Amino acid sequence: MINPMDLAGRTVLVTGASSGIGRETARLISQLGARVVLVGRNEERLAETLRSLDGEGHRAELFDLSSADEIPRWLKSVTASSGPLHGLVHSAGIIKLCPLRVSTSQTVEDVMGINVKAAIGLARGFCQKNVRASSGSIVFLSSVTGLTGQAGLSAYAASKGAIIALTKALAVELAGERIRVNCVAPGLVTTEMGQGQLSLLTPDQGAALKSMHLLGFGSAHDVACAIAFLLAETARWITGTTLVVDGGYTAH
Amino acid sequence: MQKTEFLLLLDELLELEPGTVKGSETLESLEGWNSLAIISLMALMDERFGVALQPRRIAACTTVADLVALLDDKIA
Repeated sequence: MINPMDLAGRTVLVTGASSGIGRETARLISQLGARVVLVGRNEERLAETLRSLDGEGHRAELFDLSSADEIPRWLKSVTASSGPLHGLVHSAGIIKLCPLRVSTSQTVEDVMGINVKAAIGLARGFCQKNVRASSGSIVFLSSVTGLTGQAGLSAYAASKGAIIALTKALAVELAGERIRVNCVAPGLVTTEMGQGQLSLLTPDQGAALKSMHLLGFGSAHDVACAIAFLLAETARWITGTTLVVDGGYTAH
Repeated sequence: MQKTEFLLLLDELLELEPGTVKGSETLESLEGWNSLAIISLMALMDERFGVALQPRRIAACTTVADLVALLDDKIA
C-alpha cells in the first residue's frame, strides 16, 4: 500500500497554528509524517496544538506577523535550528465584517497587513538560501470572497483576491527555483473565526449563507486535506492555482 | 453614551440630516434601514463606544425606541 500524500522527511512551517485551519493543517500533516514548525502569537494555544501532533521533532515559535519586514531574518534564525523548510502554509488571517459606509483606511490596513503583507514577507523569507530545501511548496489561504462578491466584506475580499493574484505572480517568479505556489479558497468553515462571523449575522442572513453552501458549512479538516494535497508530491505538477474548497458555494 | 448621541449616530448611518431621527419612528419607515445597516450599526457601536450588540436582538427590534431599549444600561 502506498500513501501518495506521504510527507515523511519534510519540514513544514504553518502560521495561524494556534487555532482553526492552521491548527488542523498542522495536525493532519504531522499524521502524514511531516515535522511541523508552528507559528502563532498565543503561547498557551500553540503548546496545545504542539501536544496534539503525531510524531516527533515539531516546534512552536511565537511571532507577530504584523512586523512583516522582520520575517526574513526571523525565518533564518528559526531554520538555523529546525533545518530547511520544504513547505510553508500561511493560515494566519483576519476577517472584518464591515460594510462600505463604515470602512476606513484603518480597516484596510488591518486586514491587508496580516492577510497580504505577511504573505509576501513569508514568501520572501522562505526563498532565502538555507531557509528552504532544494524544492518547496507554498500554500496561501484565499477565500471564496476573493472569487465572488459578498456584502459587507470589501476589505477582506480585496485581500483574498490579492492572494490569488499573488499566488500566480509568485508561481511564475519562483518556478525556476523549484518552488510551487498555490492557494486554497474555502467557503465558510465552522472554526472559531467562522462561528464568529456567523454570530455577526441575523438569523435570516445566517440561513441564507448556509443554503449557498450546497454541502453545508465545511470543517477545518476539509480545508486541511486540500492544503496537504498541495504540499505533497500529489501536486508536483501544480503551481499558480487556486483550489476551491467550498461545499459548492461558487457552483451557482 | 447619551440617547441623543445614539440618535445622531443613526442619522449618520442612514445619511439623514442630523436631528432627523427623533426616537419614536418604526425602523421600517427609515429609508436605508436594511440588513447591511444592522451590520454597520454593530460595527460603529463597537468602534465608537466599545458596545457589542447581538444581531439577532437588533433584527428583533421594530422601532427606534426598541433599539434604545437594547442599549439599556449603556445609555444615559
